[in-house]
Amino acid sequence: MAPCSETCNETMAVAAVNVCIGQIAVADSSGLLRSVLGSCVGVALYHPHQRVGVLAHVVLPASEGRGGHPGRYANTAIPEALRLLDEHGADPGGVTAKIVGGANMFGNNGPLQIGQANIDAVTEALRRANISIAAQHTGESKGRRITLDCETGDLTVEVVGELPIKM
Amino acid sequence: MSQVRTPENVDLEVLHQLFASATHDASAAMCRWTNGLITLTLDEVRELPLEEVCAEFDFGSELLTMVVLSLEGDVGGDMILTFDDKNGRSLAAALLGRDVETCEQWTDLEKSALNETGNILGCAYMNALTRLISVELVPTPPYFIQDYGASVLQQALMAQAMTSDKVLICRTRFHREGEELNWNVFFVPTDSMRVAMVEALTVTP
Repeated sequence: MAPCSETCNETMAVAAVNVCIGQIAVADSSGLLRSVLGSCVGVALYHPHQRVGVLAHVVLPASEGRGGHPGRYANTAIPEALRLLDEHGADPGGVTAKIVGGANMFGNNGPLQIGQANIDAVTEALRRANISIAAQHTGESKGRRITLDCETGDLTVEVVGELPIKM
Repeated sequence: MSQVRTPENVDLEVLHQLFASATHDASAAMCRWTNGLITLTLDEVRELPLEEVCAEFDFGSELLTMVVLSLEGDVGGDMILTFDDKNGRSLAAALLGRDVETCEQWTDLEKSALNETGNILGCAYMNALTRLISVELVPTPPYFIQDYGASVLQQALMAQAMTSDKVLICRTRFHREGEELNWNVFFVPTDSMRVAMVEALTVTP
């Protein structure tokens, strides 16, 4: 799947690749990967020695037998992200994870809390893959824009009205 | 080249008729609310893969001012009224008969004017849908939100994404004295709503 490119802003030295809903993208040390998240969860996997990163934009907790893009579901996105890292020479054993998103954008308290379900499913999928979560910025009711810098592994989280966080 | 009439695009044609009628009602309500200043036209009813939505509707990382109304229940959906900040404040000022506010934060009065606009549009759409599908629709109170447009649209798409690989979106545009404005209304029905709408409009032999 080809992620759509986006022109970088003035503060960025290189163009960021926008990882749209349900997509997964991989980049080496010269790359920036970006997503805008609401109830979806962004999973950033990074190999610090190989300097290769993957960003998955997970939409739903489980595929339950459905096809489609593997990036769409937590249970298929994590194996696919690891496969992409392996394909780029990064040993999955040395990978760390950061997860962001899973907001409840409309602030309601109904029975369907898809944001939290996504966070739980991603956490479980990472546990099954023996990948520890190094940092997370999840829940609440605001959107987030994230940028993974594959040179450093830093994940920048921007929330409207707040200062950016680097984690 | 003529388009092949598949069951899917026949459904879309049917839904287009429905939304055109609902938009007509909403436009009349909006025209009354703004003393004839603003009208609406149905732009498109589209079904597309989930992965393509943000790019196709130009929902990048732009910050938007939005009013969201949800229809609760299985036969439901979400309506999102979107503006860029400048246009949202311009509408609020016009409705309030004041100059555009210059302070960074929106005042409660400005938010209230936009919420009321959402309410009026939402009720016009809901009344048109209720007449058609004979199901009582209960909208939530309008919810004012300033955030990334893509973040809000994601949440609205969830109900469809859980059951379908494609999502249906209706987009309406606004005009001020014939000139198109950078305002939109997106309506994202649940699958059950979509089925109810198509069944109501499909004539069986």
